[in-house]
Amino acid sequence: MITVEHLSKRFGDLVVLKDVSVEIRKGEVISIIGPSGTGKSTFLRCLNLLERPSGGAIRIGGVNLLDRSTDVAKLRQRMNMVFQGFNLFSHLSVLENLTLGPRKLRGIAPAAADAKAMELLRLVGLAEKARQFPDELSGGQKQRVAIARCLAMEPDIILFDEPTSALDPTTVSEVLAVIRRLARDGMTMAIVTHEMDFARDVSNRVLYMDEGLIYEEGTPEQIFGSPAREKTRAFINRIRSFTHHIGSPDFDLYAMNAEIEAFCEKHVLPKPVRQRLLLVVEEVLQMYRPLLSTTALDLVIDYSERTQRLELAWESGGPPGNPLDPAHLPDELGLSIVENLAEEIAYERRDDRNRVSMRMREC
Amino acid sequence: MEFASRQEGAGTVAEIAGRLDSVTSPACEQRIRELIDGGVTSLVLDLARLQYVSSAGLRVLLLTAKLLKARDGQLRIAGVQPEVRSVFDMSGFSAMFQVEESVAAALASLT
Repeated sequence: MITVEHLSKRFGDLVVLKDVSVEIRKGEVISIIGPSGTGKSTFLRCLNLLERPSGGAIRIGGVNLLDRSTDVAKLRQRMNMVFQGFNLFSHLSVLENLTLGPRKLRGIAPAAADAKAMELLRLVGLAEKARQFPDELSGGQKQRVAIARCLAMEPDIILFDEPTSALDPTTVSEVLAVIRRLARDGMTMAIVTHEMDFARDVSNRVLYMDEGLIYEEGTPEQIFGSPAREKTRAFINRIRSFTHHIGSPDFDLYAMNAEIEAFCEKHVLPKPVRQRLLLVVEEVLQMYRPLLSTTALDLVIDYSERTQRLELAWESGGPPGNPLDPAHLPDELGLSIVENLAEEIAYERRDDRNRVSMRMREC
Repeated sequence: MEFASRQEGAGTVAEIAGRLDSVTSPACEQRIRELIDGGVTSLVLDLARLQYVSSAGLRVLLLTAKLLKARDGQLRIAGVQPEVRSVFDMSGFSAMFQVEESVAAALASLT
């Protein structure tokens, strides 16, 4: 239904969309997820030309929206958008909000427009609010009216730009319920959202946008269950990372400890967890000490907000060898402490680097 | 790391407070050597204010035990905090050392 080819968008020197290509087929529900500021909304706004793309093509039914000769207004009617901020006309009643488009843009007779509007208000559960004005409605109700208003124009596809982000949590579900219903009824939709569970439930396909591209795409099971690429995984698992570069055997343990403590405090990790983490880090660093005169060491601590687990990765150069190999250690004291506090301790040689990984045990 | 020693009853009590880690252990070892070289043979380590120990600290304790053994001396450890205790446990230290509840109990146990 919509084919996007190499879409790009820059604002002056700022490149927001680098190269986006995607196809949205009839009846599909596509969720677009990703960190803030990565172009998700810009992408959506390009689709119905609220933003003018810098390059690429958007074809609807074969016709390129960006061609000078295209009747944009007509094409735009086939797509409709639901915004984060509702954007209802405050001077019109709920019913009038719904009938304005059909009457003015599609020449539908007032009686027929009213009837259709009431039907749609019933669909979203707000028929009794028909005569009221938007400022008398709650956020969730306004959004449901906004959705009904979209439907009144009988679009081929509805674009949702973070439809629930401005709503308080108690009203989010009533709006998601309406969107679910539309999905069930076969409406083609592209939804930019931060509601992961909802996106997982309702979509056929998920696009993870990052770096101005579609960084990874797949089925909900693939993207939410087993994301393949690193940034997708970090996003899905809400991984917060701490990195530290150790360049010499005389590294400042206390300075690093202070940074690790700050990281732990930021993510509200309890004191016993912090203590154990600092102890593991000190013990492993001691094992690396003999190597630090010839190679640097990079430590990455990943904290997953989702699983609440801490994973550590230690990367160093030099000849192949596992710094935690008992054969190289003066005694077993350090290693027994590490093995007590961490699990899944693994060593691998990858790309000429030695990599040790481990996960802190749960208490 | 704070280190303070005093004569008490049958032995010498050395209080180690703060952290006993790879940074502070050398200084602690030095102080203990001074005591033992100076003739101390009955030593009680008061760890009531020790908040953190790593393998570096454990090695100092092991060395202390070794040095005293060579002189037919005795070592007791008193007042271990829970976090330090768990590090002792996970490295098998609790089996190696005689840990008493208090300095008084430790001193009383010296022969």
